[in-house]
Amino acid sequence: MECCFRVPLWHEGLSHLQVILPGTPPRMDFPSSLRPSLFLTGPLGVSDVPDLSFMCSWRDALTLPESPPQDCKNTAPHLAEALLWEPAMPGPLPLLPPCPDPWDPGVTAQDLLFRGGFRYRRQPQVVLDVTEQLSRFLWNHGDIAFGPLGKMMLENFKLEGGRNRSKKMTVVSAKRLLQDLGGHQPWGCPWAHLSHRLRRFAIVGGPVLGKSVSSLLGRLLHEELATRWEQLLLDEAFTGGTLAWLPGRTPQVGQLVYPAGGALDRLRFQEVSLTSGSDPQVLGDPGCIQLQGPVRQVVTNTVQGETLLAVRSDYHCAVWKVRRQRRPAPLQVLRVAKGATGISLSPHLPGELAICSRSGAVCLWTPQDGLQQVYKDPETLVFRDPSPWRWADFTAHPRVLTVGDRTGVKMVDTQGPPGCGLLLFRAGAEASCQKGERVLLTQYPGQCSPESLPPTLHLICTQFSLYLVDERLPLVPMLKWNHDLPSPALLARLLPPAGPGCPQPLFLGGLGGQVQLLHITGKEASAPRLAGPPQSLPSLTDCLSAFPLLEPKSHQQLQERLEAPTIGLACASPPSASTPTAWLFQLSAAGDIFYQHLALQAATSFHRDCGPPGDPRPDSPAPRATAPPMDQRPPPSWSPQVTAWCSRWLEALLQVPPASPVWTAPTFSHRRLLGRLEPQPVEGKVPQALRAAMARGRILQQRDLGLLPRAEPPPAPEPGPQDELSERLEAAWEGQGATWWKRQQGKASEPGKQTKRPKRRTPLSSTFSSLTSCLDLSDTSSPPHSSELRPQPPVTPHSQESAQQLWAQGDHSERWQTLGDYMAELPLTKGTPPLGHVPTPPSQASSVQATPSRLPTPGSQPHRKRPRMGF
Amino acid sequence: MRPTACGEPASKGAREDCGGAHPHFLLDVLRTQDMSDFSEELTRPESEDDQEEASTVSGTRVYFPWLQKHLDTVATGGKKKKDFAQTTGACLSFIREALLKHQWQQAAEYMHSYLQILEDFDSNQRQTAPEIIWKLGSEILFYHPKSSVETFNTFADQMKNIGVLNYLKISLQHALYLIHCGKLEEASRNLSQAETWRYGEKSSSQEMLINLAQAYKGLLEYFSWSKKKMELSKLDKDDYAYSTEARNIFSHSWKTSVNFSALIKTPGVWDPFVKSYVEMLEFYGDRDGARKVLTSYAYDEKFPSNPNAHIYLYNFLKREKAPRAKLLSVLKILYQIVPSHKLMLEFHMLLRKSALCISSIPYVNLNCSRLLQKKRNTINWDWKCYLGSWILLDALRT
Repeated sequence: MECCFRVPLWHEGLSHLQVILPGTPPRMDFPSSLRPSLFLTGPLGVSDVPDLSFMCSWRDALTLPESPPQDCKNTAPHLAEALLWEPAMPGPLPLLPPCPDPWDPGVTAQDLLFRGGFRYRRQPQVVLDVTEQLSRFLWNHGDIAFGPLGKMMLENFKLEGGRNRSKKMTVVSAKRLLQDLGGHQPWGCPWAHLSHRLRRFAIVGGPVLGKSVSSLLGRLLHEELATRWEQLLLDEAFTGGTLAWLPGRTPQVGQLVYPAGGALDRLRFQEVSLTSGSDPQVLGDPGCIQLQGPVRQVVTNTVQGETLLAVRSDYHCAVWKVRRQRRPAPLQVLRVAKGATGISLSPHLPGELAICSRSGAVCLWTPQDGLQQVYKDPETLVFRDPSPWRWADFTAHPRVLTVGDRTGVKMVDTQGPPGCGLLLFRAGAEASCQKGERVLLTQYPGQCSPESLPPTLHLICTQFSLYLVDERLPLVPMLKWNHDLPSPALLARLLPPAGPGCPQPLFLGGLGGQVQLLHITGKEASAPRLAGPPQSLPSLTDCLSAFPLLEPKSHQQLQERLEAPTIGLACASPPSASTPTAWLFQLSAAGDIFYQHLALQAATSFHRDCGPPGDPRPDSPAPRATAPPMDQRPPPSWSPQVTAWCSRWLEALLQVPPASPVWTAPTFSHRRLLGRLEPQPVEGKVPQALRAAMARGRILQQRDLGLLPRAEPPPAPEPGPQDELSERLEAAWEGQGATWWKRQQGKASEPGKQTKRPKRRTPLSSTFSSLTSCLDLSDTSSPPHSSELRPQPPVTPHSQESAQQLWAQGDHSERWQTLGDYMAELPLTKGTPPLGHVPTPPSQASSVQATPSRLPTPGSQPHRKRPRMGF
Repeated sequence: MRPTACGEPASKGAREDCGGAHPHFLLDVLRTQDMSDFSEELTRPESEDDQEEASTVSGTRVYFPWLQKHLDTVATGGKKKKDFAQTTGACLSFIREALLKHQWQQAAEYMHSYLQILEDFDSNQRQTAPEIIWKLGSEILFYHPKSSVETFNTFADQMKNIGVLNYLKISLQHALYLIHCGKLEEASRNLSQAETWRYGEKSSSQEMLINLAQAYKGLLEYFSWSKKKMELSKLDKDDYAYSTEARNIFSHSWKTSVNFSALIKTPGVWDPFVKSYVEMLEFYGDRDGARKVLTSYAYDEKFPSNPNAHIYLYNFLKREKAPRAKLLSVLKILYQIVPSHKLMLEFHMLLRKSALCISSIPYVNLNCSRLLQKKRNTINWDWKCYLGSWILLDALRT
């Protein structure tokens, strides 16, 4: 122990002077006897080791009797208590009206990975789909990709090959080639079938088509996709959470601090009043501070009556002083060139912060004195890990910080010589970590009240487990709980105990919206342990049932909104007269805040432990027998006010405009077509309506024509035309199947009307073949958010594809030009596709309207789809 | 991507560092930092390769439990899970959900269906299943309102024999449960069975578990021993019963020491075992043995730095009336680990008695002077109630 570093909790070390100073608070004690545990050193996932850190909550409840048990009746029952914080509603509810900015879920795994599996693989492997992205780029920006090269080559372009080579080797039949390409699947799977012809074309055309584009771009693209994929797996930006609860002048009133807006760049202060028994009241309009970057973390702390608010953005950190009834006063802004990864406020000194950056540096920051670098190491602590994520927090000692990365947590003395420290947590056999386990979050909860856990505890979360480590006994976790959350656990909040002797509730939130509630007890002379089985709280998607029944489109919009990642967690427990209550707030990445109200129930579901066997113990006093066990309790249900509020919320949500696409593929404009339609002198009602619809950029719908009676039954989810099957099923559902059949027979006798409908729809479907094909393919080939939800210009590949169909079917001989001719044209045409795809010269684009009758009428396809969506 | 205005060869590290930053982001600063990074980059390639190799070799690549969920949305072809695996997987997630919602009855019903996984054809599944069943099943039975100790016992006994490899683990946990319920005899019987159990070649984990079982058995024996000791203290020394009781106690001690000694040698936190072992050794006058146990528990490098080890040692030395220097050396270490401990009061007294200046603790000295240099009004910290202490300490020091 003769190392240069000490963990000198000196302010507590002087506790012997308590004797001299009467009235000082009692200090914490070290548990006199710790739970037996094995201590091994070594790497992660050492398998041949019995796991003594028991993963079930009941094993945590077992305590060894300190002294020989005298009488079993006295020892056991005090443990037998099932704690439960019961939610008042079946799910979280929105606190404020929806954020007026649209929400776009962003890239999904489907956008990044190869579709289709590997047939002979047991475990699916992650393969980034660079080729698809590249081919999309080549499709959409062919002018950029091929234009310059083509222009350069234009003069000397020749696709003949050497003279001494036979024609058979160098000449490729364009027709066959294009037929092959017609069957080319667009997702760019490298194992896709390539014909000899295609291969030969690739070899012959290779020097012309240019590898430079694909190789240059491919490398950059791969890098970008890899970072996106990593981000999708673990978005560390929001570690710590962006929602904070500031206690106000009375215990019932407080402020929620959170970022708002689609870019999360507006810091809002919303005053909320919490009264048990009713919904939280939003008081007044929120205060707002506009920032230059997105908010990634919000921290607040009150030390000696001074409340500070710290915010971390990607490259900036800022501190405000919060004043009652007034605007927060900005203290200082700090620029972190390498990117900040964590910020924390000191629980000891007002205005002291710890900041860490991607470069591996940890600094103490006080607005008065500036920065002081405490620690710097670009390498990770325990073993090498590529992640630049770092974290810093305070400890019970005001001059000792914890420095964390993915592999471990270290305590560093800010006054000691640089480079020394003591490992507090090690991802390895010491904590019996699993293979591939990494630290996701470390947090110093501090001590919120004298009743709570000792202030030396640190909370550490990994993908698998939650650890509580005492800084007085480093490396050996005091508590380990396998949380099994299906998303990264990046949020944790500890509430003070609900009452004297009660365990402390710890909320553990995953990015995916799941929240677990752990009851942790362990004061003074006993090690911290779980006081009862942990419980899961309803997640955001559980409130779907509070909303009225919706048509699929809106339902999807709502669901997408509710499935947005949870980026902030805050909780408050105002003192109440009767049962202890707690409020949980969750902030979603879409900018909405949801709340849950929890009430503590102490159920008497288990304490048969000690009595003699067979004795039902009718006379034994139940410890806090108030509520029946969970099974027998009626599940909470939505109140009418709640459903009314939810439908109002939904109305507001549906008025939010859809997210505008970042970039839309250049495609033939319908406005140009609009101009061509203009000169036609005789116009019926349908073309007029069509033109009106085109001008608005919408799909022409039945109701716009107003020809057929609009006698659609109210519960029909889609106002569009219906097909027979859905009509029939609908009638059958209402018990009028027979009448429908009769009506149908009557209809069949007038065939004129029947044949008229599809005819009228042909021009529409042909002019909007791209649109309809987009509709048609939506559920199979494109990510869900780009489907029929939004009336936006179609995605190019689909339109190209329909054109491709066109080409493949048309047999106009003049279009089958030689490859050489086509290639010569290549640099001049805009949006020319690359090798491997069927090109669409401008003449083809215009042929869309010229050859409507040859198309396989895609207008019939929505008919086929819609009923399915309706159910 | 990197702002092209920097005009430097794009080193990978630099690009990552300023990725997404505004291009006009104070270029001078950026350039200097890029430079330093670039030089780092030049020395790095080797290490990066090493790292990749190392991570593949030792299998320490990050594992994301939610990766499969993402892959499931993409992979359409490939080898599909069998129906049986799908249903059992779904059942398992239902059990977990019910447990987290405290719906014990429902969890028990799902568990009933889940047991069929034991008939899975997949040998891998068949091996891991008993452990999962034991974990979840015991959790259900522990909290279920209608379950009793008997139900738990039956379940544990059955589970012990399903997965041979889990026999020791389950026995141990079962015994802990019985101790918790106050059924010490049953627990002891369980542990003696586990102690003698062998399967195949004796692996290190098996040995470890057997040692643990023995230690717990020793603890139970200690309980009965101390109960007898208490009875003995009540008896009259001249009584006839006294000598027989005393003989009983002696026979206990010998057995127990065997039980404890094996486990205590393996690194770990063994507070209850060490405590009771030392008490028994002391009772029989084996002071050297006790000292040896405590010293190795406190000073062995392989053990974690457990404050209790030092506390036990100090208490022992104090009882033994060891010289003050020895006591001080133990407390000095404790002071470094847990300066807030109650024993620090004694440490202080000892220091004063041994006429050592308080400044022998350099750290306190340093901070104290530094702190008092500041204006006293500004010390309005969390521990400002100790301001008096600081002044006093300063006075003591000088």
